[in-house]
Amino acid sequence: MNKKEHINKLVEEALESVDQVSRAEAKPFLLTRINARMNKETESVWEKAGWFIGRPAVAFSGLCMIILINLAVLLFNQPSNTVTPTEQVAQSPTDEFSYSIATIYDTENTQP
Amino acid sequence: MDQQELIVQLQQGDGSAFKKLVDEWQHMVYNTALSIVQNEDDADDITQDVFIQVYQSVSSFKGESKFSTWLYRITVSKALDHEKKKKRKKRFAFVQSLFGNEEDEPVLPAEFNHPGVQLEKKERAAALFNALKQIPDQQRTAFTLHKLEGQSYQEVAEIMNTTLYAVESLIARAKTNLKKVLSSYYEKNIPE
Repeated sequence: MNKKEHINKLVEEALESVDQVSRAEAKPFLLTRINARMNKETESVWEKAGWFIGRPAVAFSGLCMIILINLAVLLFNQPSNTVTPTEQVAQSPTDEFSYSIATIYDTENTQP
Repeated sequence: MDQQELIVQLQQGDGSAFKKLVDEWQHMVYNTALSIVQNEDDADDITQDVFIQVYQSVSSFKGESKFSTWLYRITVSKALDHEKKKKRKKRFAFVQSLFGNEEDEPVLPAEFNHPGVQLEKKERAAALFNALKQIPDQQRTAFTLHKLEGQSYQEVAEIMNTTLYAVESLIARAKTNLKKVLSSYYEKNIPE
């Protein structure tokens, strides 16, 4: 048998090597391990949420969103020039700094 | 209890139905995962993942396909995803090694021996499993389901959601590619 024939024979043997293969069996106590893992996954929902928020892409997007909201609030809430300024009630200095003292005699004796 | 009844009970969240499901299908899921990922610990993790997903999404199972077909689909998809992740990690480790960080250098996997292969065929089977890693995913899946899980071409077509003709073609191409890879391997490592 030459080398090529020998190789072809080996290739055929390799291809046929799994013809009557029996099924590999899972390790024992699989259900216990599955249950343990499901419980662990339920407990770590908050951890997952923290991890998700802490991802650079999410954190950066969140930061950008906050900055945009702040800018929008600043832009839309600026005082407009078309609005008439509120009239201020000018109080005369005499009212502010009145020297006349109102006493009970002043109200009773209005006439000189 | 027939399969339909089991599924209804699962959809109602019955724990004993889930136990029955795991008891009945665990070896099938494990063997399929093991044949694809070729690592016992990884296959065990995938088996757990598959059953957790089944438990969480059984309500979405409408019975349009056989339950076993649905289970095979989840298993194959998880196993292939796992393989992709592993390849990504290897690439990342390679990039890291280029920058001089060789602390996490990946350990090369040992030769895989499927526990179901007869003793006298172990050596040839190991060469075949090694060759299987070098052919495209679709071809590998079709070949694995047919040869290692004993599924008919029609069943493989249903699992892979394709036509019978496509499966015939995939398996034929898989054999051709495997022959090429094996020939090249034996040319370099011819046993006495």
